[in-house]
Amino acid sequence: MHILKSRPWNLPESSATPEALVFGRRQAMALGAGMLAASPAMAQQAGLPPAMRNTRYVPGRAITAEREVTTYNNFYEFGSQKTISAAAQRMPMRPWTVKVEGMVETPREYGIEDLLARMPLEERVYRLRCVEAWAMVVPWTGFPLSALLAEVKPLSSARYVVFQTATIPSVMPGLRQSWYPWPYTEGCTLAEAANELSFMVVGAYGKLLPPQNGGPLRFHQPWKYGFKAGKSLVTIRLTDQRPVSFWEKIQAQEYGFWANVNPAVPHPRWSQAQERMLGTGESVPTLLFNGYGEFVADLYTNLQRERLWA
Amino acid sequence: MRLIGLALLALAVGLFAVFGGDPLGAVLFRLDPGLLNLVQAVVQRYLLPMIWDDLLLPVLEAPAWVVPAILGGAMTLFGWMRARG
Repeated sequence: MHILKSRPWNLPESSATPEALVFGRRQAMALGAGMLAASPAMAQQAGLPPAMRNTRYVPGRAITAEREVTTYNNFYEFGSQKTISAAAQRMPMRPWTVKVEGMVETPREYGIEDLLARMPLEERVYRLRCVEAWAMVVPWTGFPLSALLAEVKPLSSARYVVFQTATIPSVMPGLRQSWYPWPYTEGCTLAEAANELSFMVVGAYGKLLPPQNGGPLRFHQPWKYGFKAGKSLVTIRLTDQRPVSFWEKIQAQEYGFWANVNPAVPHPRWSQAQERMLGTGESVPTLLFNGYGEFVADLYTNLQRERLWA
Repeated sequence: MRLIGLALLALAVGLFAVFGGDPLGAVLFRLDPGLLNLVQAVVQRYLLPMIWDDLLLPVLEAPAWVVPAILGGAMTLFGWMRARG
């Protein structure tokens, strides 16, 4: 008897991007590139350069509707409510520069347009699991962090990578809470940063990444809880000191350094066994490493004494 | 009431002596780093963001001694006026 077994990477037909959207997007991108060259002031409205979808990373779930992803956001600089998308539009996205500094051979400062032009852009459909037990599936556009690291050449003494978010008090009301340890910083080990899944995101749904989702540049490691992903990055620093991140300073017991997704380890105030999909509201089982164990489990084989799951 | 008012004034003096002009939010954060985050999340997500932004935040941004000083002063005055008939 022929038995059809569903693989985790099987995609439902409904999640495929319509052909018209794909080809239309390329035309829009070409137009956007022309506009970009013509006028830097128009760059904020310009599209992304073309980026092919990398089919190596299959989410196994339907892509979340763009509207859900762009209107339900965690970005504490704008408040702790989910409805910060309108307020985030006030953040100036151009000009934008990102420093890569610290323990590297060649420290660099990139304009975002420079990054878009020189990095190998691709689209990856990743799952994102929030520590608050909701989840989404997003077609991100970006480039592997390893490509950026290859340009700056980490010193052999570097062990960690620290990501720092912009602080713009004039548009970020959350910064009024002066007691929080701003700027928002997150970090990971250099080994984690060099993993093929570690992705610097500059776009979503074929468009430039909107500010509420961390535009113009954010980080994403899909096997970790979402708070590990620094948004609207201005500095990437390599160091030999393990960083203490923003949330770790506030509630280390709830938001630790490693924060790998694990359904068997509950948050102190709720279970992590299930996750609610944005948009559909469907409750689905959470997977170890958010389903990316085959790519990352090896990173942690000698770290069993660490608190890897929170 | 006058007694409570005087106690609050004493608390204000104590807070000023220990924390100087530090905002109430910073003092609470020092005592319990997770407390305000929880309160903020509950207020902004389940009540109204503006309750936090426009009502609580100004109080939290003020020096820690201000709230007990105002409350203590008002209660002391009110108690004294009531005692005088």
